[in-house]
Parts: sequence; structure tokens; C-alpha cells
Amino acid sequence: MPPELRARFEEIVRLHAGDLFRFAFWLARDRQRAEDVVQEAWLRGWRNFPALQDPTAVKSWLFAIVRNEFHRSLAREGPPTDDLDGAVLELADERAGPAALEMRDALMALPPTYAEPLALQVLGGFSCAEIAAMLGTTEGAIMTRLTRARQALRRLIEPLPMCERHGGRA
Amino acid sequence: MSCLDYRRALLAGEPETDAMRAHRLACTGCDGFSREHQAFERDLRRALEVPVPLGFGQRLASSVSPAPEPATLPHPDRRRFLAAAASVAVASGAGLYFWLDRDDPLALACISFVMREEAKSIMMGAMPRDEAARAFGGTLPLERLERIGQIRHVAPCPFNGGTAYHVVLAVPQDKVTLLVMPGTHVAARSRALREGLHAAVVPLAGGAVGIVASSRAVVAAVTGAVRPDA
Repeated sequence: MPPELRARFEEIVRLHAGDLFRFAFWLARDRQRAEDVVQEAWLRGWRNFPALQDPTAVKSWLFAIVRNEFHRSLAREGPPTDDLDGAVLELADERAGPAALEMRDALMALPPTYAEPLALQVLGGFSCAEIAAMLGTTEGAIMTRLTRARQALRRLIEPLPMCERHGGRA
Repeated sequence: MSCLDYRRALLAGEPETDAMRAHRLACTGCDGFSREHQAFERDLRRALEVPVPLGFGQRLASSVSPAPEPATLPHPDRRRFLAAAASVAVASGAGLYFWLDRDDPLALACISFVMREEAKSIMMGAMPRDEAARAFGGTLPLERLERIGQIRHVAPCPFNGGTAYHVVLAVPQDKVTLLVMPGTHVAARSRALREGLHAAVVPLAGGAVGIVASSRAVVAAVTGAVRPDA
């Protein structure tokens, strides 16, 4: 690879490594698996970078590679089975604050079908249409999943009154 | 634009359009909802931004350096050998694990519920406390649950060919899902581990309860606490 292309790729590494790791983490819910997935994804990206036609699409291209690599790792190794204690402890960073840590617990309980588009939207900054293209579904389906994800999170983090099923009386 | 349309668009994470802005400025209810939503989004972003391992970007950059063989990765032949050796070790370990500790189908069904059905069940809404107490208090009294943690959600749900009661309990270390199954008789305590979630099914008077959490220690603690003599 020519030096200028290499320098550009390394710049992209520095720019997106954090968010790609975070995206991989929310796919795998396991820090070690997330590191492995991103490492493999970068190598794949490195090999295919010269062939990338549209340089403006580099971010969605990288997120898609991480996603594909995660699914390859699932097929190869199965889901991560390590105890999550270590991961959760490591996640208890000081920067997040109690509300965000509570939200993180709620995210851990969110099904992958909801967590994945949410991570793509919030971490990747992708629109519903872009997420739909990446996940191979419709924009409407993604909007529904994102709405349900946020509703579920709100319910998980807010103590619910033991109210009637259809609302109203407490 | 109606209030419902406005709130739906916010919950889908859509950026505010001119029409949305016009509605918000004219509607105090939606203006308040928007402010609350902004705080929610800040927490959501902070929550999703898990700490990145120290020096991770640098390690990645090194791994794609133009050296003949990337410094952080073994030679492909050696990688293949290591992968084969690891596969054998994993297969042997997995075999031994399953031989020693088979996953119980009911405990696995509890994990599957958490993975696939929990959010839907929560979105359906909760049931009144007195109704919950009548429905499964004979199997697992609510007071006992409240000694373990804070009840966040209780609702009936279809499970395992019958009806179970879905309880989300917040304990200091984690959130725990319980599936209280009055009338389901299990001979002994069983457990499972799948998708990074631990589950146990515990026999109780007149039924059983499934307990699911992301930590084995939390499941063990709740398992001990749900028994009548706890």
C-alpha cells in the first residue's frame, strides 16, 4: 500500500477505533471478544482499503466490517460464555455517573435486535435509512426498533408504579 | 404535527425538523418531554460509551503497519496451528463442561425469554400489586422479593406453554429477571449459561421460579434468598 494511503488508513484508525470497539462491545457484550472482533475487522479493512470506491463511506464501511466480523466470530466460536462480572466491573468508570451506569445496566438487558440499531445511531451517528441499509431491513422497521429500544430503556431505568396494565390508576 | 407524532419521532432518535420545532414551541407538554428526552439521550450516550482499552487505537495501528508480518500477530501458519490447538482445547473443555454441567431446558427457556421477549413484556405494562400478590404470592410472596431488591416490573406473560409472572428486580449489583411459575413442578434446582446470561430454576412451594442475571454470583445470591427459609 502506498505510504500516503497507509497514513490515511492509520488516521482513520485513530479516529474511529474507540467507537468501533464500543459498537463491537454492544454486539458481543464482552470486552475481550470486542477487542478480537475489531482487531480482525481492521486487518480485513487494511487488506480491502485500496479497493474502497467511495472514501466518504469509510465509516459505514468499517462499522459493517465489524458487524460482519462479529457474526463470523459467532459462527466460529459461538456466543461469548465468560462470566460478565469482570466486564461489568471494568465498565464502572468514573466518567459515566450514576444515571449513565444505571442506563448501562438497562442496555445490558436490552435484546440485541434493539441494542444494535441503537448503538449504530448513537455511537455511529447513522440515520435510520443508513442503519436500515446496513442491517438489510426497512427504514420503518428500524424506526420501530429504535422507538421500542428507548421505551424499554425508560421502563427499565424508571421505577414503575405498580399500575394497571393499561395505565391510569396507581 | 400531533403530540404523538412528535414524541414518536423523538423516541426514534430523529433530528428535530422545522415541523417538530414548530410543534414543540407551541406545546408546553412536548417542550417538557423534549427537555427530559435530552437528558435521557445524554445518559444513553454516556452509557454506550464504554471505556476503550488503554492504547487500543495504537495497538490497532501497529497491527496494520507495513512490516512483513504485523508485530502483534503470529505468522499465519503459527496462527493456524494455534487456532487448531485452541479449537481442540475449547472442544475438550466444552465437552467436559457439558458432561459435568448440562444446561437445563427450562433454565435455557428463561434465558431465551430475557433475550427475546423481555423488552416486549415490559412494554405491555405492569399489573397491580394486589393482583400480583393474589396470582403468585402463594409461590413467592412479594414481601420476600422486596427484601432482595427493588421491584421494577411485574406482569403476566406466556411462558413454557403456560403463564408465568415476569418480575424485574433491581439489586445493588445488577438487574435480575425472575419468572415465577405457579403450578410448575421441578424436581430439583437446575441451571444454564447461554448468551452471557446465567439462569437457575428453583423449586418453591406450589411452583418454581426462574432467575436470570448476567452474573453467576447474583443468580446464586437470589437463588438463596427466594427460598422460604431464607
